[in-house]
Amino acid sequence: MLRNYLKIALRYLSKNKLYSFINIFGLAIGIASFVLIMLYINYEQSYDKFKGSENIYRVYMDYLEGDTFVPGDAMTYNLSGPTLKSEFPEVLDYVRFFYFEKMTFQLGDRIFEQPLGSLADPSYFDIFNYPLLKGEKEKVLSQPYSIVLSKSFAQKLFGNENPLQKTISAFRDGEEAVLTVTGVMADIPKTTHYRNTFLISYETEKTWTDWGPKAHELNWNANNYYTFIKLDPITNADVLRQKIIESDIEEDTEEQHNIEPIEDIHLYSNKPYEVSANGSITRVKFLMAIAFIILILSWLNYVNLSVTKSMERAKETGIRKVSGAQKSQLIIQSLFESILLNLVAIMLSLLLVAIVLPLYNGITGKGLNLQLGSLSAFLPYFLFILFGMVAAGLYPALLLSSYSPIKALKGKIQTSSQGLAIRKGLIVTQFLATIVLLIGTIVVTKQISFLESQPIGTDINQVIALKGEVVTTKSDSLLINEYKVLEEELKKLPFVEKIAIAQSYPGDSFDNLSSSRGILLPNGTKEDDKLFYTYHVQPDYFDLVDIEFLAGGTFLPSSNFDGKQVVVNETFLKNMGISSYDEILNKTVGFWGENEWRVTGVIKDYYHFGLKSPLLPMVIRYERDVNNILIKLDASAASVTGFESSITQIKSEWTKIFPKSTFNYTFLDQKFEAQYQEDKSFGAAFQVFTLLAILIAAMGLFGLTSYTVVQRKKEIGIRKVNGATIPQVLTLLNKDFVKWIGVAFIIAIPISWFAMNQWLQGFAYRTALSWWVFALAGISALLIALLTVSWQSFNAAVANPVESLRDE
Amino acid sequence: MLLQLRNIFKWVQQGGQRIFLLKDINLEVQEGEFISIMGPSGSGKSTLLNVIGMLDTFDEGEYDFLSESVHTLKEKYRSNLYKEYIGFVFQSYHLLDDLTVEENLEMPLLYKKIKSSERKALVADMLDRFNIVGKKDLFPTQLSGGQQQLVGVARALIGKPKLILADEPTGNLNSQQSEEIMQLFKKLNEEEGVTIIQVTHSEKNAEYGSRIINLLDGRKI
Ligand SMILES: Nc1ncnc2c1ncn2[C@@H]1O[C@H](COP(=O)(O)OP(=O)(O)O)[C@@H](O)[C@H]1O
Ligand SMILES: [Mg+2]
Repeated sequence: MLRNYLKIALRYLSKNKLYSFINIFGLAIGIASFVLIMLYINYEQSYDKFKGSENIYRVYMDYLEGDTFVPGDAMTYNLSGPTLKSEFPEVLDYVRFFYFEKMTFQLGDRIFEQPLGSLADPSYFDIFNYPLLKGEKEKVLSQPYSIVLSKSFAQKLFGNENPLQKTISAFRDGEEAVLTVTGVMADIPKTTHYRNTFLISYETEKTWTDWGPKAHELNWNANNYYTFIKLDPITNADVLRQKIIESDIEEDTEEQHNIEPIEDIHLYSNKPYEVSANGSITRVKFLMAIAFIILILSWLNYVNLSVTKSMERAKETGIRKVSGAQKSQLIIQSLFESILLNLVAIMLSLLLVAIVLPLYNGITGKGLNLQLGSLSAFLPYFLFILFGMVAAGLYPALLLSSYSPIKALKGKIQTSSQGLAIRKGLIVTQFLATIVLLIGTIVVTKQISFLESQPIGTDINQVIALKGEVVTTKSDSLLINEYKVLEEELKKLPFVEKIAIAQSYPGDSFDNLSSSRGILLPNGTKEDDKLFYTYHVQPDYFDLVDIEFLAGGTFLPSSNFDGKQVVVNETFLKNMGISSYDEILNKTVGFWGENEWRVTGVIKDYYHFGLKSPLLPMVIRYERDVNNILIKLDASAASVTGFESSITQIKSEWTKIFPKSTFNYTFLDQKFEAQYQEDKSFGAAFQVFTLLAILIAAMGLFGLTSYTVVQRKKEIGIRKVNGATIPQVLTLLNKDFVKWIGVAFIIAIPISWFAMNQWLQGFAYRTALSWWVFALAGISALLIALLTVSWQSFNAAVANPVESLRDE
Repeated sequence: MLLQLRNIFKWVQQGGQRIFLLKDINLEVQEGEFISIMGPSGSGKSTLLNVIGMLDTFDEGEYDFLSESVHTLKEKYRSNLYKEYIGFVFQSYHLLDDLTVEENLEMPLLYKKIKSSERKALVADMLDRFNIVGKKDLFPTQLSGGQQQLVGVARALIGKPKLILADEPTGNLNSQQSEEIMQLFKKLNEEEGVTIIQVTHSEKNAEYGSRIINLLDGRKI
């Protein structure tokens, strides 16, 4: 029996090529899109999951803003961990990290710049269940000047030699520490928000003196530490969280401690001072919605086509019934056909996935793969696909088997109005989904171009930031002088237009910015609860990045008076309630135990972090320091020299003065744009999947019209014989579709307005949901549909009526 | 007695009016009879045949088939009855275009829980009897009308029915092909005792049968 079904199904599918192609391809695209998106989502959801991770929480700070506490800082104090452990029995243990974005190491003559490492408490390996490959868990971080290397870092340093007990030098701000390798740990999985490549024992801090004699003392002064705590598994985390908030361990009314599950950080946390840019749950939800929409769209397509097709097969069903087929046998046969078709589609979709995966990984920047290990996570989706497959097959099967045999034999089935209503419903749903996706795409694209076109208040084109680590034991002042020499040398290069040294710059990460509160204003008020952000630069900085002064100007360059000067921005004035420049210009403000910071200028607001974050109140300090060297290139001169060789010349000047050093540079505009990278790839994904959805819907419509046109061939013939013109026939055939799209459009507007509004909330600066966005989507859908439909109906309309009438 | 119709009425409601398709039909059919139904177009011949074949319902009257009263049976039992005992032959053959001649013949057997080997034997037997072994791998569209109807009759017979209902079986055939089909019916009726009820317009074809029923406006005359 099954063999018979198989034979007939195969023959049927190969005979009806258009039908099979549209169905199989539509389903395959639907399933492939679903799998691709789910792979991505699965990856995003797998962050920070390891044995015991469900009991690990990160401690963070809430800041008071107005009357409410909002997440203020991902970093905590060095006292936070120990205090929580001693006050709350639920907290079994803690680990603190002092984070290094990168660190310079020296081994013999070789100098390495290694990204991402930390000072860590010895409890690290008790809390983070990552394998330690060499060394003893309890001992590796217990002594000062110990370092644990990741496997690949160890490999890079020592090749295949055993690294244990070897020593290497580490430099931070030029300060050397000689570290002994006590352990090697496995490389930390990509799906980790905090991917340490080396760990230095926390105790080292006490004597790595550059951080000031007081840095290592336990205090509530500087929240520069990430703290993770391990909870007793029986703890109700929400209750504990409440207790922590209420207990106010720090006894500070402006801020409070809070905790969050480590597993939630990647998707739910977006606080200042995150270790790295996190994902976004909104994005995940949107992509998930898109995945389901596309999959359901392809099923609707399938149902619609096979229902239409089943009318064509009514006669066959009638014959089978008259020949003794039971209803159930017909249902099984029809289901069998649809499952076969789906299986072919699934195989094709897996093939598609395998083909586009490398490309997809390129776009998303993730290392996704179809491995068996992730199968269990995929089981629910797989079951969903299976369920949908059966459901989509069942409806036409039931419909087909329910035809009464005489009606079927007389060919009276197509007039069934109930079937028609359902098909209309399906088409409206398809268009609804398509229009919603179209609106989504337009809004995402509009938002991204809005962000990119928005004036940012600064000009960072052709600016590079030069940052190398100098391995030296020279004093700071000597180093500063050497930087001066370098500056002079660089200025002589023809393509160097301007030079300035700055601790941070537009587009930089949060790390080089300090947040503070408690500023003393010129009128004598001390603002204890108002936050401000600060970094330091040298006088030429403002001119180089073209930040405009509203009042006053940059720091006075007098050589004996190079400290105690600041520049503030508009937002700072607004937040502090200062309404005129006179109230602050050339007056002094106080913070950090220094009451004589002279305000030399007020700058126009500029976006330090791009438009995703709101404008920050800024206090920019003048400090002589060795830091990023910002170089503004003369575009025409640099293009003569060529960028590559310009950089090479800069590098050779650098190494002439600092032979023992690393050399690094970035283009500021690129770094600034990189903040939108995730949004851009989200936008790209949105576009691609919308296109695919449209393709599926259009293919379905194409298939559908090819049958309705056949069905109405006689009607068209009669109308034409009676004088209908081609445009009249076209109108007749296309009228319905226009109506359906109209209905879909009306339903689509509120849905997409709500959804896109939701998405836009993630941005501090939002594009408007203008009426034309909706109109454009509606008109596009209409055009696509009309083009698809007209392809078929035009042929029918121009056909010679005698031909179609002769068939009868 | 194979079947008996008593005072059968069938009507449709149209514009608040009853339009009678069958009016007070009384008919007894014995096993082994060969009956021809005649009448002008639209007189209700097909309707009557469908009622006899239990493909269609009626609104009033009684119908016994093999001493089961059809009018009291549930739809499901009714269809089991016709599947078991009745074979249909149609004017437009109604072969499945996607199946070969052989597969068309096998199709009814698939719905009867008959083993594959036995199916093959029955189909081979039938192909042999109708002299169409050479055509077994062809598709219906590759056959002439007469040959298609041969296959149609063979398919109706393969389930060993007691009754064959044929609605204008030769309506689409030329006279020579018609003759062949009628000869076949006659042979089946005489040699194998199959009961046959056919609808026909041709006096000549009607003569093959043992009895003629004339219909006019849904009424027997
Ligand atoms: N379901 C129906 N609804 C309305 N009228 C019908 C229906 N079935 C048949 N008729 C009408 O009943 C009459 C008898 O039809 P039919 O039995 O097919 O006639 P015949 O086969 O003798 O040509 C015809 O006028 C036909 O139009
Ligand atoms: Mg008729």
